[in-house]
Amino acid sequence: MSLKNLLENWSRYRRGHEQGGYHDYEHMWAMVIDLDKCIGCNACSVACYAENNLAVVGEERFARNQAMHWMRIERYWDEPDLERAGKLEHGEYQQYGASFLPMNCQQCNAATCEPVCPVAATYHTPDGLNAQVYNRCIGSRYCSNNCPYRLRFFNFWSYYETSWPKPLDMQLNPDLTVRDKGVMEKCTFCVQRIRAAKDKAAREGRKVRDGEFQTACQQTCPTTAIVFGDLLDPESQVSRMWRYYEVELGKTEQHKRHPERRGYRIMEELNTDPCILFLERVREV
Amino acid sequence: MTRRIVLGLFKDFDQAFAAIAEIREHKVPGVSVDDVILKSPIEHPEVEEVLGERPAHVPKFTLAGAIFGMTFGFLFLASAQATFLVQPQGGKPVVPLPSNFVLTYEMLILFGVLFTLVSFIVGAGLFRRRPPLYSEMISLDQVGVMLEVEEEQAEALKELFRRHKVVEIREEAVR
Amino acid sequence: MQTKDINEQIAWAKINKDVLRSMENPRSGYWIAVGICVAMVLVAILAEIYQYNAGLGVGNLNWPHMWDLYIATFIFWIGMSHSGTLLSAILHIVHADWRKPIYRFAEAMTTFSLMTAALFPVLHLGRVWNMYWVLPYVSDRGLWPNFRSPLIWDAFAIFTYLTSSALFLYVGMIPDLAICRDNAHGWRRKLYTVLSLGWAGTDRQWRHFRKAYLLMACFLIPLAVSVHSIVSSDFAMSIMPGWHVTTFPPYFVAGALYSGCAAIITLFVLLRYFFRFEEYMTIPILEKTVKLTFAIAMVWSYLWIIEFLAAWYGGHKADVEILVSKFTGPYSPFFITMIFCGTVLPFTLAFERLRRHLPTMFVVSLLFNLGMWLERWMIVTPTLAQAYHPFAWNVMWPSVVQWAIVFGSFGWFGLLFLVFVKIFPSVSMYEVKEMVYHRRRHVVEELAVKYHRRAGDPQPVTDNPGT
Repeated sequence: MSLKNLLENWSRYRRGHEQGGYHDYEHMWAMVIDLDKCIGCNACSVACYAENNLAVVGEERFARNQAMHWMRIERYWDEPDLERAGKLEHGEYQQYGASFLPMNCQQCNAATCEPVCPVAATYHTPDGLNAQVYNRCIGSRYCSNNCPYRLRFFNFWSYYETSWPKPLDMQLNPDLTVRDKGVMEKCTFCVQRIRAAKDKAAREGRKVRDGEFQTACQQTCPTTAIVFGDLLDPESQVSRMWRYYEVELGKTEQHKRHPERRGYRIMEELNTDPCILFLERVREV
Repeated sequence: MTRRIVLGLFKDFDQAFAAIAEIREHKVPGVSVDDVILKSPIEHPEVEEVLGERPAHVPKFTLAGAIFGMTFGFLFLASAQATFLVQPQGGKPVVPLPSNFVLTYEMLILFGVLFTLVSFIVGAGLFRRRPPLYSEMISLDQVGVMLEVEEEQAEALKELFRRHKVVEIREEAVR
Repeated sequence: MQTKDINEQIAWAKINKDVLRSMENPRSGYWIAVGICVAMVLVAILAEIYQYNAGLGVGNLNWPHMWDLYIATFIFWIGMSHSGTLLSAILHIVHADWRKPIYRFAEAMTTFSLMTAALFPVLHLGRVWNMYWVLPYVSDRGLWPNFRSPLIWDAFAIFTYLTSSALFLYVGMIPDLAICRDNAHGWRRKLYTVLSLGWAGTDRQWRHFRKAYLLMACFLIPLAVSVHSIVSSDFAMSIMPGWHVTTFPPYFVAGALYSGCAAIITLFVLLRYFFRFEEYMTIPILEKTVKLTFAIAMVWSYLWIIEFLAAWYGGHKADVEILVSKFTGPYSPFFITMIFCGTVLPFTLAFERLRRHLPTMFVVSLLFNLGMWLERWMIVTPTLAQAYHPFAWNVMWPSVVQWAIVFGSFGWFGLLFLVFVKIFPSVSMYEVKEMVYHRRRHVVEELAVKYHRRAGDPQPVTDNPGT
C-alpha cells in the first residue's frame, strides 16, 4: 500500500525546491515594504500586537529580550555603506536620521526553520505560507536558532497570565489562539484574515480579489509603506511591483536590467527564498 | 539403559586437553570427542585445535539483521514520508535521500546488534535451565570436561580422568 | 619503575577475590559520596520542577539565545560517552590486551553518560510533556516526526547507541556475572542468577560469545563515530555562521574521544585508589591511556585550528566576525580557558614523570574535561549571540536554574556510577584472567629476571602458582 504509493509517485516525491517542489501553490502571499516610506512610527508593530494576541511581556522581561514582537521596527543609526564611499564622516550619522527596517517573518519558500523542526510543527502551506502549528510544537527552539533573520519568538513564560489583566482580556482577537508557555510563534501574514477572505470567496464562487483584505500591519501603516498580495495573481499590486523592481522568487541573486531599481530581498544569497521585497531607502547625501 | 553425565575438573587446560586427546583416540570405546563439553573460566585461544571445528552461526544472523535493518529502515522512513505530505520541507523533496541515509544507517546498526544478540543467546543455549553438574570452581580457576555416556562406560571414563590428575569428578544420572 | 602492564603471575583465584571484594561492604566514604550525588540530583530536580512550572524563561534563555547550557552539556555528556565503547571496541578488535582491566568501567561510563546526556534534550524542551512526539509511532492523524530534522537523527542515534552500548557492556559482563552468581548470597545471588542467563562457561557458549562480542564491537565503532557526527549535525546542518562548518563531524568525534579519554583517566585514578586495584589498573596501562589521550588532544587541536583557519581564509563576513568575537568578545575568557585546557595543558602529558604521577593526572584530566565542556559552550553560545542579523545580537548569561541542572547532571552520573561499581564488577575478571594467561605463556622467566625487569616491577614468583 505504502510501497505502491512510494513507487508510483517516486519522481514527484523527489522534486526539490529547485524543480518546483512537491506543492502546487494555490496562492503565493508576498509583501513589498518600501523603506523610503517607512517613518519608524511602530504602528505596524502595535497593530500586530492587537490583531494577533501578542503578549505584552512587561518591562523586565522586555529588557531580558523575552518579548514577542512578530513585527518589529529595527532602528539603525550607522550608515557603513555611505561611510565607506566617503560620503559621510564617522559619527555624523545622527543628523541624517535613523534608518528603519520593519521585520516580520519573511515567509521563505525554502525556509531554514522548516526542515529542522523535529515534530513537523512548522511547514509550508499551499498558500506559500510558512505555517506554525502551535498544538504540535514541543518547543525545541531549533527553528528560531536556524532562522537567519531571528524572526521566531518563543513563549518563555505563560505570558497570558499577566499580559491581559481584566478587563483587557475582552480585547483579545477571537479568531486565533492565545499561546501558552513552551511554543514558538511568529508572523503568519495574518492567516486568520487570509482564511476569512478565502472562505468568503469560496462561498461566492470566485477567486480572492487583490486588496480584498489587508494584513494588520499594512492596514495600519500611515504611509502605506507595506503592500500585500498574491504573487500568483499577475494583476495584483504586489506582482506588478515585484516585476517592476525585477525581483523574482527562486533565485539567490537577481540580475536586473535596470540596476537603479531598488528592490532587494534580505539575505537571499542564503537561498532562503523570502517572500518580502524591500525597497531601499533613498538617501540624500 | 541409563545414561550418566560425568564431569571431571582439572587444574589447568593442559591436563584437560591431554584427557580430551585420549578421548579423541577412542581410549574409552564408544565415547566420541564430539560429545565433549569443555567448561572453562576463559576461552582457551587454541580450543579448536583440541575440540575440532564446531559451528557458530552468529555472523549469518548479524548479516541478516543488518540487511533487514537497512531495508526496513529505509522503507519505513520513505513510506512514512510519502504519506505525510504536509511535512515541512524547507525546499527539500518529500523523500530526502541524505537524511534518510543517516537514519537508515542507524537502523542497520541497531538491527545488526539486536540480531547478533538474539543469535548469541539462542546459539549459546542461554536462557535455559543451567545444565546439570555445574561446579563453581569452573568460574574460578578449574577446567571441566563433561560427557554424557552410557552407564557402563562411565567407569572407564573416570579412570581416564584420574590418569590425568583430575581434581574432582562429579556424576549424575540422566533423568 | 614498573613497565609491565600486569604481573602475569597473579593467580586466577586472586583476581576473583580482589574484584569481588571491591563489590562488597561499602565503606562510609561510599555512602557519603552517594549522599552528595543524591543531593546534587535533588538540586537539579528542584530546578527542573521550577522550570517546568514557570517556563524556560527562568533559565534566562531569551531571544536569540534559545539554546544554552542544556545543549552544550548535552553534547558534553554525549562526547564523554564516546571513549568507553569506542576504545574498548577498537582495542578489542586489534587485540590490545591492556584494555582488559580498564574497559569495563569505561563502558559503564559510556552507558551512564549517555543516560545523562539523553536527559538534556528532553528537559530543554518548551513542552516536556509532549516529548514522545519525536518518536516515529503510527498515529491516527497520520502524523510523523520530521525525519529531516537533525534532532530526530539525534533521537535515533541516541536510542541506537544507548541500546547497543548497554548491550555491549552487558554481553561482555555475562561471564563475570556468572562468577558473581557463584560467589554471592541472598538477593545478589538471585539477581546474578537472572542476569547471567545460565552461563556455565561451556565451549559452545564461549564460541558464540566470542563471535557475538567481536561483531558487536565491529558495529560499535562506526556507530560511535556516526552518533557524534549526528550530534554535530545539529550545528553543521544549520545555516548559522560558526555552526555551519564542514569539519564539525570529525571535530566533534575528536572532542568526544578527548573528553572520554580524560574521563577514563579520572575514573581510573579514583577506582585504583579507592578499590585498591593497583595490581590491575597499573601505571603502565595508565601511561598507555594517557599517550592515547595526548594523540587525540593533538588531533582535536588541529581540527579547531583548521576550523578557524577555514573561517579566516573563507572570509565570509559573519563567520569572521564570530571568530573575532570568540577571541575578543564577552565570552573570550571562557574561550581562552578552553584553548588553554584543551591544547596547551596536554603538553604536560609529554613528560614521563607527570604521566606516571597519579595526582597530576587526576587534576589534569579534570581540567581537560573542563576545557571540553567550555568548548561545547563556546560552540553553542557565541553563534547565538552574534549570528547573521545584527539587530538580534545579544549577550546572555545563564541563570542559576541552568547551572543547577547542569550541576545536578554530574550528580546523576556519579550516582549511576556509584551504584554500578557496587553491583557489577568494575574490572573484567575473565578478561584479566585471559590477559595473564596469554602473557604467562609468552614469558620466559629467566630472561625477564635477567634483562627485562626494571626496579619496581613485581618480583617473579619462583614456584608456579598454578592456573
